[in-house]
Amino acid sequence: MTTAPASSSRRNLLRFGLLGGAALATVGLTASLTGCSADAPAAGFSQLRDGDLPLLRRLIPVILDGAVPPPAPPDATAATLAGIDRAIAHLSPALATQVLQLFDLLTLPVTRGPLTGIWGDWTSASDEQVRAFLGRWEGSRLMLLRQGYSSLLQLTLMSWYSQPQAWAACGYPGPPTV
Amino acid sequence: MPVPDLFAEGLARGWKTHDGSRLEADLTLEADIAIVGTGAGGGTSAELLSAAGFKVLLIEEGPLKTSRDFHMQEAEAYPSLYQEAIGRTSKDGAITILQGRTVGGTTVVNWTSSFRTPVATLSHWADAHGVRGHGVEDLAPWFERMERRLGIEPWPVAPNANNDVIRAGCQALGYDWAVIPRNVRGCWNLGYCGMGCPTNAKQSMLVTTVPATLENGGELLYLARAERLHFAGDRVDWLECLGMDDRCVAPNGRRIVVRARHYILAGGGINTPAVLLRSDAPDPHGRTGKRTFLHPVNFSAALFDEVINPFYGAPQSIYSDHFQWQGGIDGPIGYKLEVPPMHPAIASTLLGRFGVDNALRMEQLPHTNVLIALLRDGFHPESAEGTVLLRDDGSPTLDYRMTDYTWDGLRRAYHSMADIQFAAGAREVLPLHNAARHARSLAEARALIDDLPLELFRTRLGSAHVMGGCAMGEDARTAVVDSLGRHHQVENLSIHDGSLFPTSIGANPQLSVYGVTARLSSLLAERLRA
Repeated sequence: MTTAPASSSRRNLLRFGLLGGAALATVGLTASLTGCSADAPAAGFSQLRDGDLPLLRRLIPVILDGAVPPPAPPDATAATLAGIDRAIAHLSPALATQVLQLFDLLTLPVTRGPLTGIWGDWTSASDEQVRAFLGRWEGSRLMLLRQGYSSLLQLTLMSWYSQPQAWAACGYPGPPTV
Repeated sequence: MPVPDLFAEGLARGWKTHDGSRLEADLTLEADIAIVGTGAGGGTSAELLSAAGFKVLLIEEGPLKTSRDFHMQEAEAYPSLYQEAIGRTSKDGAITILQGRTVGGTTVVNWTSSFRTPVATLSHWADAHGVRGHGVEDLAPWFERMERRLGIEPWPVAPNANNDVIRAGCQALGYDWAVIPRNVRGCWNLGYCGMGCPTNAKQSMLVTTVPATLENGGELLYLARAERLHFAGDRVDWLECLGMDDRCVAPNGRRIVVRARHYILAGGGINTPAVLLRSDAPDPHGRTGKRTFLHPVNFSAALFDEVINPFYGAPQSIYSDHFQWQGGIDGPIGYKLEVPPMHPAIASTLLGRFGVDNALRMEQLPHTNVLIALLRDGFHPESAEGTVLLRDDGSPTLDYRMTDYTWDGLRRAYHSMADIQFAAGAREVLPLHNAARHARSLAEARALIDDLPLELFRTRLGSAHVMGGCAMGEDARTAVVDSLGRHHQVENLSIHDGSLFPTSIGANPQLSVYGVTARLSSLLAERLRA
């Protein structure tokens, strides 16, 4: 069956007011005029778009640092990414749109820099920079950034820890046999 | 040893069901009584009314999943069995709301705790909310009947170590505690109630009242959303349902027309008021969706030297009401203390932080106990409360507003939980709040809790009990339905679910829903027969 990605146009970014506040809305407007990343899903995904992947590939290993016992299985990030894609595919359209808007906010150059402190590409962000960004959002006075922090952690942690390869590190033997 | 799948066997014997995701054409269904929702309220009503000789059609938005689908895997259970794939939250995103969305509703995924409605709650409804005929004696026979029907008894087995922390801590401090009654028969004590019972021991609607309804000649339409009631004068004329895709994410273009003599909404808090709002149902006093309550929950983790394994064993078997009624019915907010089961995916988001900090907390999972406090919202004018709103696409969300009165209860609850955890022998206590760290003594915990900035998102909050939004009561200016569940403005429309409650319950609500809706259904059957 088809799994249409939730729509996430720049126009929606403004309408839903994810940024909040007039100044930030201006940033969104600028984004709407200059940014035009494709909304189509990336190859091998049903929801995540090409533009989301560099962001998530940097975020996931930082959020899971210490959770993946060495030697790290090379596919831990890939498996988590696939889990996030699956999770978004089952959300209600309204929630899926919100998640993709959050990724837009984090990937559009015009919003990424001011809101995250990461001025270059995600690919070149250091672990330290990613941790600083997460810490900044966690403690933000803007509720929407605190919400963003909480969503990124939830998506990543739930995706990893619902996989059997994650369980040895947290002492969970798995479900019994029935 | 394979567990027999009762539902699959019934289907093989010819139970009549319709899968809304696989319709080849639009469909028209007729019944005496159409019931939207197959959880505690819908299932209970369906069994009684079908046994009384009425042709019942049950309508469920979620999928039909049965014991053979329940593999005790978080990755499978959350997206398929929960509202919005476990993504449902309050409108601001700060309170995670766990509600079932599958044939059998929340009863398929709840943790089986079964309490009668507290006497104080029933009296308050009569005194403050104009509810008639819901006294202790009125309801007692219905609670008894449903307790028998669903095997509800205090758990006779020793509590798991996670629950035993409440017993040991309360005992040491001289606090009240008691054993939780559970709706199970032949329970294997596995601990996976929240992912669908793989052994059919939990007496959810999926293995009790829904099968009984189908056996009585009723029909079940699933993966179909009740979109809109259409009215003719002061009656419901027909109900429009939309077939859903097999992930239950979006309508698939098929439409189902349902015609019935009487309609019952039993989609639970949030979804029942949403059907009324989408339908522009008469609401002259603007009451639909108002006063929705959550039993907002906060969490306290503790590390023990001994093994707790909080992922195994009956998830809830001990509770404490020591702090529930201390300030009277409408004094400072009271709370019930229980524990949640802690499987890895949920645990990882509850325990907090990221990277090495989170990993170290997760590494200790087998030695971790978590307590929860369920706050009794809706009894005091300054209590937090919610309003159901529709998003642009017609889907519902809950605008739940915290208040200082309620935050105060959360802070006291952090204190009570830390007290009990240390008294039970905890080595360290961690209030689950972004600004908290592990406290190694009660004094350290007290200072830490007093300083916590209680704000949305920094305080981890959840809810598994949505109540109210279509309050019952005799006064049409404040209530959506009367004390018999009849809509104040629409003649052939009733509400039979937790959205009826004028306040929260002050206990896990499933038995309240069973008892109240069983009584209302039997009275409805008498009226329809007349």
